Amino acid sequence: MAATVHSVARKIWQSLSAIKTGVILLIIVVIISAAGTVILQRPVTEGDEMQRAYSPQMLRLLDGLGLTDVFHAWWFVLLLTMVSLSIIAASVQRFPNAWRFFSRPYKSPNETFRNALPGHVLVPIKDKDEEAALTVAERVLQKAGFKPERIVRENSFSLFGERNRISEMAVYIVHASLLLIFLGGIVDALYGWRGYVTLTRGQQSSQVQPQNGSTRNLPFAIRCDGAGQENYADGTPKRWWSDLAVLENGQVTLRKQIVVNDPLVYRGVRFYQAGYGRTGKVDKVILDATPKLGGAAREIALGLDETLPLDADTTVRLAEFIPDYVVRDGQVYTRSNDLENPAAHLVVESKRSGQAVNFWLPPIPGFEQDASSPYAFEAKDAQMAYFTGLEVSHEPGQWSVWAGVIVMGLGLAVVFYFVHVRVWAVPVRDARGKLLLWIGGSANKNKDVFEQRFRRLIEQIESELKVSSEADAEAPTASIAG
Amino acid sequence: MERARVEQQPAATGTTLVVMVGLGVAFLLFMAFLNVVKSGNLLNESNLLYAALIFYSGAGALYLAFGVTGTPSYVRFASLATWAGLLANTGAVVHRWYEAGHPPFASIYEMLLSFVWTLAVLTLIAEKKYGVKVIGTVTMPVAIVGVVLMQLLRTEVHPLVPALQSTWLHVHVTLAMLAYAACALSFALAMMFLIQDKMKTETFLAATSLFSIATYVSILTRFEKWGGLSVVGWDPEEKAEIFVAKGVRLYVVIPDLGWLMLLVLAAVAAPFLLYLFWRKNPDRNTLEIANRAVFLSILLQSLTLIFFVLRARDGRYGSLDAEGLFPTSLAASPFILSGLVGGIFVSLLYLLLLWRRSDLERMLPSADELDRITYRTIAIAFPLLTLMIAAGAYWANRTWGSYWSWDPKETWAAITWLVYAGYLHMRVTRGWRGRRAAYFAILGFAVVMFTFFGVTYLLPGLHAYA
Repeated sequence: MAATVHSVARKIWQSLSAIKTGVILLIIVVIISAAGTVILQRPVTEGDEMQRAYSPQMLRLLDGLGLTDVFHAWWFVLLLTMVSLSIIAASVQRFPNAWRFFSRPYKSPNETFRNALPGHVLVPIKDKDEEAALTVAERVLQKAGFKPERIVRENSFSLFGERNRISEMAVYIVHASLLLIFLGGIVDALYGWRGYVTLTRGQQSSQVQPQNGSTRNLPFAIRCDGAGQENYADGTPKRWWSDLAVLENGQVTLRKQIVVNDPLVYRGVRFYQAGYGRTGKVDKVILDATPKLGGAAREIALGLDETLPLDADTTVRLAEFIPDYVVRDGQVYTRSNDLENPAAHLVVESKRSGQAVNFWLPPIPGFEQDASSPYAFEAKDAQMAYFTGLEVSHEPGQWSVWAGVIVMGLGLAVVFYFVHVRVWAVPVRDARGKLLLWIGGSANKNKDVFEQRFRRLIEQIESELKVSSEADAEAPTASIAG
Repeated sequence: MERARVEQQPAATGTTLVVMVGLGVAFLLFMAFLNVVKSGNLLNESNLLYAALIFYSGAGALYLAFGVTGTPSYVRFASLATWAGLLANTGAVVHRWYEAGHPPFASIYEMLLSFVWTLAVLTLIAEKKYGVKVIGTVTMPVAIVGVVLMQLLRTEVHPLVPALQSTWLHVHVTLAMLAYAACALSFALAMMFLIQDKMKTETFLAATSLFSIATYVSILTRFEKWGGLSVVGWDPEEKAEIFVAKGVRLYVVIPDLGWLMLLVLAAVAAPFLLYLFWRKNPDRNTLEIANRAVFLSILLQSLTLIFFVLRARDGRYGSLDAEGLFPTSLAASPFILSGLVGGIFVSLLYLLLLWRRSDLERMLPSADELDRITYRTIAIAFPLLTLMIAAGAYWANRTWGSYWSWDPKETWAAITWLVYAGYLHMRVTRGWRGRRAAYFAILGFAVVMFTFFGVTYLLPGLHAYA
């Protein structure tokens, strides 16, 4: 029984690690994601739009198959998990071999290897002068950046040089980076959330509305100290901004002005500038108040329902503000939230008499300005209240994603542009006992480029060997002295 | 007798083609002259673009002419024309950059400008460094389509909306244009490989027919009742598509265009059916008929193109979505337009392959070499694609608070990435070389083009800027 369990596990492992499985899984992912871009998707598309686009039966079928929210369906997540597992399995299975290759480089080639290596040459050298020949080869390799080392065994010595050994590991680096990205995605899918909060100036909130209609409480509050929009000369929006303050236990701990591409981040929660608009309510109305009994006009600013003393006895209150009013059947109605045709309703009160007088600005027929008001008012300006819409998100896995992206960039650079090249030089004797220098080279990719390079190296070694042997022949004493 | 007939026939058609192309270039030059006279200003962006179009068309025509006549000096002149086109193109890029105050990446028009520029640069690099002398035969038509689309999609310099004011946008789009141009080059190289690899012309015929069939089938998804074809409505004053609701475009129906497209579909499907028939009963005569059918389909596609251009340029059409008549414009349907031009282009490519094989082969590196260069181009394109997606994700994260939201453009970028990843894996682990690798490279570029154009104009999406 144990044996069958074992063999089943091994079967699963083997089929997971097969390239074929990986490719089939990826093809399925491609097909399903492509389908997900063609079929309208649920959370983005409104329900009634879905109903307009598809017939009821079709919609029921698509919903039943989960094709209307492909990218959040459990089976799509399962599929991506399978892909990750396949990458892990394939890498794990191939890794030990590559690691052996990487950690214990093959430095002194034996005869079988020497004969089998496709890229090798035999250079004749002077008898009993292996040392000089190896020195020449060492110098040439050093110049070419191979960092050659002498390998000394009991009965032989040889030369080994290499470059970019890391290239053997590159594929694993890239696969590991992909897993880091997936890990981040999974963490965010499990522990991340998104929500929305709307604030007007001075308002604060510690509650966020996620898309599913619930509320989420934050351990701190966010306050809007101001928000605005700047336009280009042609009227298109140039910039939206919000001045935000973070409050913890009533204390402001962070202040930042956010704009569209620059969020505020606090304790892993990020606030984005996402919306901006009129609330239809007034923020401040600027008025000139002139005493009817004589005296200088005074500029006052009133918020909605705000009461302001005008003198020791009289106060004024902004009872109503209509940004775009229309009068119909003796009633004042609001036509829109735009500041088109504003009307303000003031109440002037006297403390002593307890008498309240209504005052409409501008004068509206049927709502005549009360002549008994001790002050005359003139509207100067009205500042509307704006709300700022903040997208709130918490993505604890994003750091894993960015780390993965950086590692992948480096890994791909190594994969494509770092070639592991190795060169060996071994003094050998041929069948007739003549001394030769066996030089072999190999590259793990771009073999054609390496071939040319290797040929140049050999030419260089050959010519230097010739030069040194000629120098030896002509001036042996100088050589010894040198 | 038989041999003489075979040799004469292409030569005659070849001359016709050269004359037609020459007339086309002359027409363009005349239009350019009128344009300069009208504006009285030689070095503005539109004239520079027009110059680029003329030179690229000239280069493309010369490459084609070389393909037909086999005169080696044509290739040299074509290369010179490419240089001149690049110069004008660079001028247009600089002009636009200077005028807008930001690098030209903000709209699909500006991105095409950068794309064509990069493509021309890469063409010249492939030509000079790797000796792929006739690479322009494939890349120049792509550049021409790009510039023509630009003429139609011309936009005023708009100030950047807040979401686009980010360095990351520039990084993202620069990488995208570089990657896409590298993909285009790898596609061209793969085509060159197939020529050099002595791919059977029948197989090529099947492939080009399939491509055209797929294109026209996707165009015909907008086929409406009584033979009309739905195209996006266009507001000539706003120079923008008409929307009925947020993200929902208004479609107008051009009458009869649907029938015409159906006819074109039949015409491009005919060679494929004949090919299938030939597979069953090998008979040279069937292929001869198929070749004639290709020629016929080119004529029919050209007629449809003219019909479409004329009908889309003026006139108002009814819509199924709203009351009243609405105008449309070529700019509203770049997919249909590039589909038609692409269909004509691949059919021409087939005829080219059919006419002059040995001459083309002499102007190309060996098949092995081409295979290696294709791989090397993809080795450049793939890291660029990766970084492009990463930069886009980072930008989205700073702007919308989410690095990945599965919108169609994102998803298709990921699919592109996966296709090229598949190519690399197959090459490394399965030793896929040569023809299969070339098919993969071609598929990759087809997906790139769909991501670039198809997603924007065919799929519902949020990637509204491009």
